[in-house]
Amino acid sequence: MTGHLLDLCVAAPAFAALLLLFVPGKHLTAVRLISLAGALVHLAAAIAIAVSYNRATGGVQMVSSHAIVPSLGIALTFGVDGWGVPLLLLTATILTVGVFASWGLADRARDFFVLLLVLTSGVAGVFVSLDLFVFFLAYEIAVLPMYLLIAIWGTSNKVAPGGPFKFTWKMLDIGGKEYAAMKLTLMLLIGSALILAAMLAMYVEAGKHSFDLRVLGTIHYSPFLQSAGFIALWLGFGSLAGVWPFHTWSPDGHAAAPTAVSMLHAGVLMKLGAFGVIRIGMVLLPEGARQWAWLVGSVAMINIVYGALSAMSQKDLKYIIAYSSVSHMGVVMLGAATLNINGWNGAIFQMVAHGLMTGLFFALVGLVYGRAHSRWVPGMGGFANAMPIVAVCFTVASLSSLGLPGLAGFVAEFLVFLGAWQAGQPIWALAGLVGAFITAVYVLRTSRTIFWGDGPSHDFHDLTDAHGTEWVALGVLVAALIVLGVWPRLALDFIDVATGDYLPAVAGKTLEALR
Amino acid sequence: MSAFTLTRVDAALLCCAAPLLSFLILGLTPALRRTGRIAGYVSIAFAGLSTLYAASLLQGRMFAAASPPDIGQVGWLYAGGKLVASMGVQVDGISASMLVVVTVVALCVQVFSLGYLHDEPPAALGRYYTWHSLFLFSMLGLVVAPNALQLFLCWELVGLASYLLIGFYFKKPSAGQAAVKAFWVTKFADIGLGAGLLVLYVFTGTFDWSPQAVQLLGATGAAWTAGLFFLAVMGKSAQFPLHIWLPDAMEGPTPVSALLHAATMVAAGVYLIVRTYPIFQAAPGVLVFMTFLGAWTALFASIIACSQNDIKKVLAYSTAAQLGYMVSALGAGELWPGYFHLVTHAAFKALLFLGAGALIHAVHSNNLQDMGGLWPKLKISGTAFIIGAMALAGVPGFAGFFSKDAILDVLLERHLFAPWIALLAAAGLTAFYMTRVVMLALFGKPGHHTEHAHESPPSMLAPLVLLAIAALTLGFAGTSLATAAGHEYAFHLSTSGLIASSLALLGIGVGWLAYGKNAFVPGKIPAFAFVQGIVESSAVDRSFAWSYRVVFQGVSGGVAWFDRYIIDGFMNFSAWLTQMAGERLRAAQTGRVVDYLYAVVAGLLLLAAAGFWR
Repeated sequence: MTGHLLDLCVAAPAFAALLLLFVPGKHLTAVRLISLAGALVHLAAAIAIAVSYNRATGGVQMVSSHAIVPSLGIALTFGVDGWGVPLLLLTATILTVGVFASWGLADRARDFFVLLLVLTSGVAGVFVSLDLFVFFLAYEIAVLPMYLLIAIWGTSNKVAPGGPFKFTWKMLDIGGKEYAAMKLTLMLLIGSALILAAMLAMYVEAGKHSFDLRVLGTIHYSPFLQSAGFIALWLGFGSLAGVWPFHTWSPDGHAAAPTAVSMLHAGVLMKLGAFGVIRIGMVLLPEGARQWAWLVGSVAMINIVYGALSAMSQKDLKYIIAYSSVSHMGVVMLGAATLNINGWNGAIFQMVAHGLMTGLFFALVGLVYGRAHSRWVPGMGGFANAMPIVAVCFTVASLSSLGLPGLAGFVAEFLVFLGAWQAGQPIWALAGLVGAFITAVYVLRTSRTIFWGDGPSHDFHDLTDAHGTEWVALGVLVAALIVLGVWPRLALDFIDVATGDYLPAVAGKTLEALR
Repeated sequence: MSAFTLTRVDAALLCCAAPLLSFLILGLTPALRRTGRIAGYVSIAFAGLSTLYAASLLQGRMFAAASPPDIGQVGWLYAGGKLVASMGVQVDGISASMLVVVTVVALCVQVFSLGYLHDEPPAALGRYYTWHSLFLFSMLGLVVAPNALQLFLCWELVGLASYLLIGFYFKKPSAGQAAVKAFWVTKFADIGLGAGLLVLYVFTGTFDWSPQAVQLLGATGAAWTAGLFFLAVMGKSAQFPLHIWLPDAMEGPTPVSALLHAATMVAAGVYLIVRTYPIFQAAPGVLVFMTFLGAWTALFASIIACSQNDIKKVLAYSTAAQLGYMVSALGAGELWPGYFHLVTHAAFKALLFLGAGALIHAVHSNNLQDMGGLWPKLKISGTAFIIGAMALAGVPGFAGFFSKDAILDVLLERHLFAPWIALLAAAGLTAFYMTRVVMLALFGKPGHHTEHAHESPPSMLAPLVLLAIAALTLGFAGTSLATAAGHEYAFHLSTSGLIASSLALLGIGVGWLAYGKNAFVPGKIPAFAFVQGIVESSAVDRSFAWSYRVVFQGVSGGVAWFDRYIIDGFMNFSAWLTQMAGERLRAAQTGRVVDYLYAVVAGLLLLAAAGFWR
């Protein structure tokens, strides 16, 4: 029975998308309800998986396998480990909340929800896939719908031409939504090409006619493949995780994307990249990981500080949040680079914490934008008087992003910085702490400019507070951030199990020595 | 043990849980919160309950001073199945007495606020009490923390409560700026606490401050940990040059200033040193630095306090100065005098702020020039304020006299002459500026609001009377408090005490001559005018503002430009190049068969050549 829970969890959104194809697009209520049902079944399955997962035994559980191409050893193999459980819950939460947040969308709603649901199935597939080929397939399914979602439902931004490459502006239509969608897709596809190359190289060198991760994980690859393959996987998956300097699709993409898409993309999809680096790159190529950990960590350090500084001088609300994601994903990669328990636990915890927080942020940005018809921060002021609930939720998200204890972000950052120092890299930890301070500077300033003060001015006459479905969306995310901040073990007890499963082989030490 | 006996751990948990419950009730039921006054009653009731538990704990510890601390913990973070950090409570003489200080002051302030914020809209009042409950919970969690990590967690939460309460009048731009500034400065300093915790864990594998942990730290580890912790203390406890947020924090309602920015929250920095004192003791270099920095802050802030016209700013600078006394004393290597001063200061500074609140309430202005001649109208609050002023000035017999004397004594004993002299000078200045405030506000020429001034309602007077009694008597409780905390203390009149009291009386005399008798105008004295000029230039504040503009706005603007036009510009350039190349190469696709044939032949020739040379 439990074997089918994973199938259900992965298939539910895709099945709902399939159903939607048979519903006329003009029946908006039916479209919304079917989407919501798909999301809720997905969520229920994720909860059931969390309940059935046995933490005492650990390892990969609820394995189910269906051969697809036996001659090549490709099989639809699903199984969940201690990392998969919280990440599936995160995905399901963000999807459900995202459906609520897009409840009011009327323009080609059916197509929108179809793409959103298919994308989510892809995400869930990545988290539970035990077959490298299926992993890659699901990864692409998750990434590609983004092009359409941004190009059709997105918004264009103005980007002032300038700099030494000014001559490129006109031809590329920089700032347009098609530009943003194309840039995102191209940069991620280049990454995919690197992944594919590394994947095939591993398959061939292993010579086992199997893409099964459990088989590929036992192979001792040649030093060249360990080294070059890890770099390819790091850059390939890393482009989706916003690894510097391949992060520039992220601000433009998130700024152009509609609310629910930004939520899913920053909240869940960017995690796929980091998850890929750890689960494929590091676990399958441990020597490569050890060889390049210094580089991964140092670039992550750049991500944290550089992203925060870039966010600081943005004036567009979506760009602020998008750059803050670049900074916070640096924390995930920093944790990965520590190759110790606290660092890895913190990295996975940060995926969950940042997913919830940035989901909340983008939901709020969508609400503010929908009512104020502007994302220009310096023009706003006094919004708390008109939308107190939004103000409170924005404050909670801000506080989590600056790492205030009691909220999920703190636990993650603290564990990562602790891991960094334990790994003998105090500079990484200090850079992280400084990044948290810079974050405090810009998020509090933003929050004060938008919400505090007298107002709002007459330019914003139809500001209303969150209501109905929006309220549900915000409430769920705020509650999750607080619960995980106060009692992190709800997620950490799962994460710790999988870290204990994978880390000793990667770090080349026994679990006892790693403690 | 029967099922109904409360252990001290249980009592401590309940003591913390009461305000948390109040916060949750008010936070989650908007209907109740928006009633305003009823929300206030709920918050006060739970604060009262907390006070009772705290009092019972202190009483219990007084009779069990020799027994080890009562500790109850639960695992909070794990790594590979091994415990990393726990949460819980630690009750000993220090934390029990601090619990009483915090709960009593908080209770007084919450009751006082009922009268002081009488005119606020109900929804705002409900919000006010919600944040107060959050603050009380966080502060109590900080006080009972059994390890440095929990202390840090609650440390940040009291910072949040401070941010929210400074920004209580959030429609006022200056309040918003002050709230954000306070958060920024303390958050910057907290980098030290965060890094210090990491050092502590990396060296010892725990977040404890036990003797075993100190041993594992060694001299290097202790120096790093203590030094980094002290950076955070400088932020929280407003030590030079990170004191800049405290005067601005006076934008909050006056009762908030009394509770957070005078009596309890700002003392959290000193309390951190007290709790982790074994680590500090293993770091002599840091201790010396503390002694000097504390003394300098005390002197510097006392000088500034002499020329402020806003009654709350006088008190704010005086708070920074008194915290300087505590830091300096702790730096001298002995725990008790500094902690004793923390306790007495909490009582008389809360009294002074609430008394100032009563004066402000009467004239609707913070400005000393608007007051004057209030004494006949405000006999009770006026008396309370004067008692507070005398306690702060260190008049013999009042609470401040005893603790200040203990501090000066220990400095002299350790031959720390320069800090000793600075603190003596600060003592004289303190007496001078408090006399100035009393003379300008309560006596002298009536200001234009004095006519309509009236005495405060009972809800404001009761806390004043209670705190005035504490300010009068707390000095005599020193010995029993010290015993409960496992320290030895007995008052004896020392050389420092005599000099300090003489200087205090001198300061009062000079103040009285200048502002009571108008015998001379201090502003006309060159030395005074010179110092005032330096003060008014607000050089410290401006240098911070400058570094914010240059370092942050300048650097971040540069980084953002670089990201947009160089990094992303290069991505765009590669896209442009691809597209251009495509367009150019399109010309090669002529569609004429002959051209293709040429290409095929050329290709064949190249292949043949390659085969030939291989």
